[in-house]
Amino acid sequence: MTRIAPAPLAERSGRPHPLAERLQSVPLFVIVALVLVVTVYPLVWMLLSSFKTADEFSGGVIWALPRTFSFDNFVRAWTVGKMNLYFVNSLLSVIPSLALVILMGVGAAFGLEIMRWRLKTSVSLLFLLGIMIPIQMVLLPLFTMYFRAHLLDTRWALILTYTAFGLPTTIFFLTGYFRNFAREIIEAAVVDGATIYQVFWKVVLPMVMNSVVTVALVQFFFMWNDLLVSLTFINNPDLRTIQAGLLNFAGQYGQREWGPTFASVTLAVAPTVIVYLLLNQKIMKGLTAGAVKG
Amino acid sequence: MERTLRDWRAITVFVGPALLLFVVILVVPIVWSLGYTLTEGSVIAGFHFVGLSNYVRLAQDPAFWSALWFSVKYAVLVSAGQVFFGLMLALLYSFYLKRSSVLVRTLVFLPVVLPTVAVAQLFVKLFAIAPQYGFLNSFLHAVHLDDLVQPWLGQGGSAFWVIVVMDVWKAMGLYAVLLYTGLMDIPEDTLEAARLDGAHGWKLTQFIILPLLTPVIVTSLIFSLNGTLKVFDSVLALTGGGPGTSTTPLTLYMYKTSFSYSQYGYGSTIAVALTLLCMIVSLIIIRRSREN
Amino acid sequence: MTTRTAALSALLVLGTTLAAPVTFLSVQNEDQGATKIIGELAREYQKTNPASPYTYQNAPQTDLAQKLQLLAASSSLPTVYNIDQPALLGQLYKTGQAADLEATFKKLGIYNTLNPAAVALIKRQNDGRLVTLPLELNIEGFWYNKAIFAANGLKEPRTWAELVKDAATLNAKGLQPFAASGDQKWPLTRLIGGYAARKYGYDVMDRVKAGTLKLTDPGFVEAARAVQDLGKKNYFGKGVNTVDYATAVDQFLQGKAAMIYMGSWVLSDFNDAARNKIGTQNIGLFNFPAVTGGKGSTNDWSLNTGISTAVNQKFNDADLGNWIKYVFTRYGNKALAESGMITGFTVTQTPRNLPVLTSLTQTKLKAVKNGYLWFEANFSPKATSVATDNAQLLVTGDITPQDYMSKLQDALK
Repeated sequence: MTRIAPAPLAERSGRPHPLAERLQSVPLFVIVALVLVVTVYPLVWMLLSSFKTADEFSGGVIWALPRTFSFDNFVRAWTVGKMNLYFVNSLLSVIPSLALVILMGVGAAFGLEIMRWRLKTSVSLLFLLGIMIPIQMVLLPLFTMYFRAHLLDTRWALILTYTAFGLPTTIFFLTGYFRNFAREIIEAAVVDGATIYQVFWKVVLPMVMNSVVTVALVQFFFMWNDLLVSLTFINNPDLRTIQAGLLNFAGQYGQREWGPTFASVTLAVAPTVIVYLLLNQKIMKGLTAGAVKG
Repeated sequence: MERTLRDWRAITVFVGPALLLFVVILVVPIVWSLGYTLTEGSVIAGFHFVGLSNYVRLAQDPAFWSALWFSVKYAVLVSAGQVFFGLMLALLYSFYLKRSSVLVRTLVFLPVVLPTVAVAQLFVKLFAIAPQYGFLNSFLHAVHLDDLVQPWLGQGGSAFWVIVVMDVWKAMGLYAVLLYTGLMDIPEDTLEAARLDGAHGWKLTQFIILPLLTPVIVTSLIFSLNGTLKVFDSVLALTGGGPGTSTTPLTLYMYKTSFSYSQYGYGSTIAVALTLLCMIVSLIIIRRSREN
Repeated sequence: MTTRTAALSALLVLGTTLAAPVTFLSVQNEDQGATKIIGELAREYQKTNPASPYTYQNAPQTDLAQKLQLLAASSSLPTVYNIDQPALLGQLYKTGQAADLEATFKKLGIYNTLNPAAVALIKRQNDGRLVTLPLELNIEGFWYNKAIFAANGLKEPRTWAELVKDAATLNAKGLQPFAASGDQKWPLTRLIGGYAARKYGYDVMDRVKAGTLKLTDPGFVEAARAVQDLGKKNYFGKGVNTVDYATAVDQFLQGKAAMIYMGSWVLSDFNDAARNKIGTQNIGLFNFPAVTGGKGSTNDWSLNTGISTAVNQKFNDADLGNWIKYVFTRYGNKALAESGMITGFTVTQTPRNLPVLTSLTQTKLKAVKNGYLWFEANFSPKATSVATDNAQLLVTGDITPQDYMSKLQDALK
């Protein structure tokens, strides 16, 4: 049975939804405005703060606008903070990890759910247990292993760790997907004489593309926000990721320069936001067309 | 058919790379770490075997129990908050805003891509009391509730809520999008049939939409708990576990024990406890979702 | 083995001995404090000795302990490194990853570049061995705003009772008596340690280490109570536990707080004209005051040598010797001339226009009779955490002085 993805709800209903009708009494504008203020105000404040001097952080009121729009903080963030570099570093470790996690994850989920072999339940269980492992559990042994393999202070240390820790959730998620929808189609293709590799490339991959977007999104969230792994395996300041780089503006006695900190944050965030805005339509389309089934 | 699906070489190609990486990077180090739990000492001073004494110590360590309690309390509240607000936003997107939801969705999603350390630094300022009032205290001051002005991050009780608020704020956009996707998948026929049966408004949500959405909600909960039980960076960057040790989760306690106190054996034992906790919680959710 | 491969490997071996790169793992940014001076001197040296390229590495302070453990475990510590745990340093010395600098400097014939007081201080902290470089020589005390003191008819207090009375006077007029960073925690325990040193004498913490004094003894409980009282009376201002370092310093430099207890490393901030709104001429320094019935003297000062910086014994060969000789015979002069930093290295050329506060600090340093280390200097990392974490609860009154000290005494075991 082929499952036809229904068109999005919102676009189908020509008339207001009953739920909407029922709740029309609640001023919609107020709710939406509240949501937007809660989300956006802190970000706007952060942007404005990146222009403030040290004085302005200790005096005045918090919602005051910066007195001048001087770029000193940005200069310091750029030269000392090296935010441009850290951003690229984050990308260079997260993107390959995402690619690997998806490729290996889809393959493994396919092998575990569709293929028939004796140990597959045990192996599935093994991966499942992986979801629950906190990274602290393996930190020291991993460090020793990477050291012996000369992988410390290289992006490989990050990529391997991110990928390995991303696999369990990816596999869990995709096996669920295969369990619910894919079996009949795949079996039909095999009966039609396709080899298993053809089935994988031509039938399975295109079919899971949408869920892949969802998985990738969640994995991106965890990898991009990693602090522990990058702090542990990277010494070289030129290879540092954004999160570790942001800890930079605190000195030996705990001095923190707030202006350059917020300028760094703004610099770190700006490219992400731009990339996100550019890709947003694509991501959302992928998401809304795909299916999230546990 | 059978032969194709039982092809050993294909199985190796599909599962092999993932399994190999998984075993090398996760399984081997876990066993290695389990070995550490039976020892005392550090990597520099060397290890010696102490049997199960680390486990005995764990059971009697009040700091461990308070960290465990913090982790559980935090994970339950934050995961519930992330999924609840995610769900509310998803309903807002699909039933109120409809096609015009793109802008709102985009903006609410924005905090998801911000580095946690950055967000924490932002929240430190928003909830500050000195040198200038942060956002909350300024607001209280402006509406003449000066009695309520307080060092939100300087007291264990309120610092806990600031962490909760921050982590819910940061991730609700992600869960909103995940759940929105689930809502889009509910066939219109089902809703129409329910409406003909007289289900409207909250009734429709409660009896039709939520049950159909359960698998997505469960997946979201697993993702969320998976992250919140292992919370580390937000706490480290926001409060450093303080004041005192009042906001120290298991992860931070483990990290400090191993790396600041050089007690790797005991630190690994705490990690084992954390792992067991994560396992129990995940297994409960997975089992319940399978039942559905 | 053929002759050719033998020659080739000989060349390779030669190549590796010739190249003597120096790496410095620091918690400071590259353009700050001692790290800046060392970096500049090392690059100068590199110009004439290209075989000794210099690299700077950075670890955030919060992450240093972990980083060192991991690096030490795989025996991959860099040439020169910051280290904030004396116990760990002791272990590293035993495993040959930290050099005996007394032997090293004597061998190089530059032992006389080290200030004897600084050397004594380091030795006291490290079981009698000189294993770290005295990159700074800091004196700690109460810095105060002369104008505020004058306007309120206050003099430098000589006893704790006078200090508390002055604070009460200021507080009654709506002025915050002390700026303190409770977020950093250590500025609070410094006060407990100072009080204890006045109560029992400058060697108090050595006696605790030896076990002849217990932290649960009445004098320590009194010290904890004295500090708690300051907190309970709000003398540290609002939300002391959320005040970060820069904020505390700014509160003082903007005239919002009358006093701040701090080490002389803070002079770089005091000398920053953009931040200092009260003027350097307007800042005074007095020592931790005497306490009733105390054995300590106000001629004893709390001293330290900045963040401990060790040299890796593994790389301590003739090449590194040359590097050390070049950098550290110039370090003291350069640090004083360029940054107004007082270091544990002798100064041969005193710059003409020394900042006023640097001169003040130098004068006080010369008058020091006995130096004592900070409260947690002899503690294990675990005990240090217990001391600092609970200090936050102490000043807010969430834990009693007795509880504070008994928890700490338990952690010492």
